[in-house]
Amino acid sequence: MRGREPMAGEGRSLLSMAASGAAWFAYLFLLMPSLIVIPISFGERTAVEFPPPRFSLDLYHQYFFEDQWMAATALSLRVAMGATIISVVAGVLAAYALVRCEFPGKKLVGVILLSPILVPIIAVALGLYLYFNALNIRGSELSLILAHSVITAPFVIVTAMAGLRHIDANLEIAATVMGAGRWRTLSRVTLPLLKPAVVAGALFAFLLSFDEVVIAWFVAKTASPTLPVAMYSSIQWSGVSPVLAAISTLLTVLSVTICLIVAAVTGREKR
Amino acid sequence: MTGAGQGRVAALFLLPAMALMTGIFLVPLAGVAHQSVTNPAWTLDGYVELTTSKLFLRVLWTTFEISLSSSLATLLLAYPIAYHLAKQPPRRRALLMTLVMVPFWTSILVKSYAFTVILGQHGAVNSILAWSGLPTVKLLFNRVGVIIGMGHYLIPFMVFPILNSLLAQPPDLAKAARVMGAGKARIFWRVTLPLSMPGVMAGFLLSMILSLGFFVTPALLGGRKDMMMANLVDMYTRETLDWTMASAIAMILLMLSGVLIAALSRTGGGKGILGGAH
Repeated sequence: MRGREPMAGEGRSLLSMAASGAAWFAYLFLLMPSLIVIPISFGERTAVEFPPPRFSLDLYHQYFFEDQWMAATALSLRVAMGATIISVVAGVLAAYALVRCEFPGKKLVGVILLSPILVPIIAVALGLYLYFNALNIRGSELSLILAHSVITAPFVIVTAMAGLRHIDANLEIAATVMGAGRWRTLSRVTLPLLKPAVVAGALFAFLLSFDEVVIAWFVAKTASPTLPVAMYSSIQWSGVSPVLAAISTLLTVLSVTICLIVAAVTGREKR
Repeated sequence: MTGAGQGRVAALFLLPAMALMTGIFLVPLAGVAHQSVTNPAWTLDGYVELTTSKLFLRVLWTTFEISLSSSLATLLLAYPIAYHLAKQPPRRRALLMTLVMVPFWTSILVKSYAFTVILGQHGAVNSILAWSGLPTVKLLFNRVGVIIGMGHYLIPFMVFPILNSLLAQPPDLAKAARVMGAGKARIFWRVTLPLSMPGVMAGFLLSMILSLGFFVTPALLGGRKDMMMANLVDMYTRETLDWTMASAIAMILLMLSGVLIAALSRTGGGKGILGGAH
């Protein structure tokens, strides 16, 4: 515990003990849902039991061999990849303009581009439902990809803007002074330096779209739902269906993996 | 770069993002506004009907109640976390912060499913209660379930503003108070807590903004009486097929969040979240 300066050297007061106790209770509360699905996922098909009476991979087998789950997963993967590509291209370009250029109306543009973060998602979902209905493309994969791009783009923009602010603008100026044109500077200096932020933004965009449920609930066809929509209907109509424990465990593994990759990529950058 | 050149580059680079936001976000939202006053000719019937609809008024009140109580519950857990994090050395703090981020990056459906398992009649909590000879309690498909589920989602959003305002306090301040004879409890109540209030305000407003629009948690962990505005929008859109009413409710929700967002942008602690200072 070296380096814990202000409070060290004195006995632990009742207050700080109560505070740490409350904090650890809260940490446990935060982790509990992700942890509890793991043992249940190795249980049996018949009922949700904790702890499971015997170890089995039945639930994983059920997930991987039922067409309904596989079709939903494949759709979610395609939509998330499409949304990631669109939001990374649009987002990184926009972030560059917002950080490196001066132009009138910059603040307003920034607010518009980031607003999907704070606008209630249900209003966006309803808007897209009506809009895609009117255009007669509701439920198509394209409509889902476009809808998800809107909510993933702000996260890419925020990540890329933070990345750009960490890059020393003098490096770009130096390249220009040495005769590199604007595009050459961008492709040879700025983008390579920005790579960790772009990778982080892309992975988060993917995860965000892959897990998104409210917009997909309004936009997707009932007959071909995305994975989160299929899970939502399953919890709503059949309660605690055991196969969901296996899916939840896999989704948790996906989230943790993505967070670890992001930590590794951005951490290397800092050192 | 020259001024005009910069403007041209900016316009070119902003084109894809602005096209996306206009075509797939702003226009559909304008569509909701338009639909809320169209049935099929121009009318304010949707809004008029809402002011007299018992269902809507009850749901509006429920939304307020749930948002307020889950934000308060979140504060009770988030403050100790932020306080604890603020006292850790940087490396340990970074490690513990990943724990706080776990719910942020966990699918809301994984969490909802887990809570139905944990809180259910034969769930983990009730099994422990029964095993220790205590009476079981109803924690699912009621208000308690919704507040637990929403609190879990909201904690990270509350922790970070509070942590920022705790870390912004110069450590010398507490030292000075101690030198002058203040005990730890007194330092906390008279120095640390008051100085962290901007962060608490920002976190609280943010969690109210997010709560108002909740959809999945009340639908899966609440009972029929815990329907919130988003669930009502869903009902009018897909069951009743009354798009005018659905749009009017969505517009009211948008305006309520707008008021809170305006309040949030006025608190200093809100800057980090809205992409300002950092």
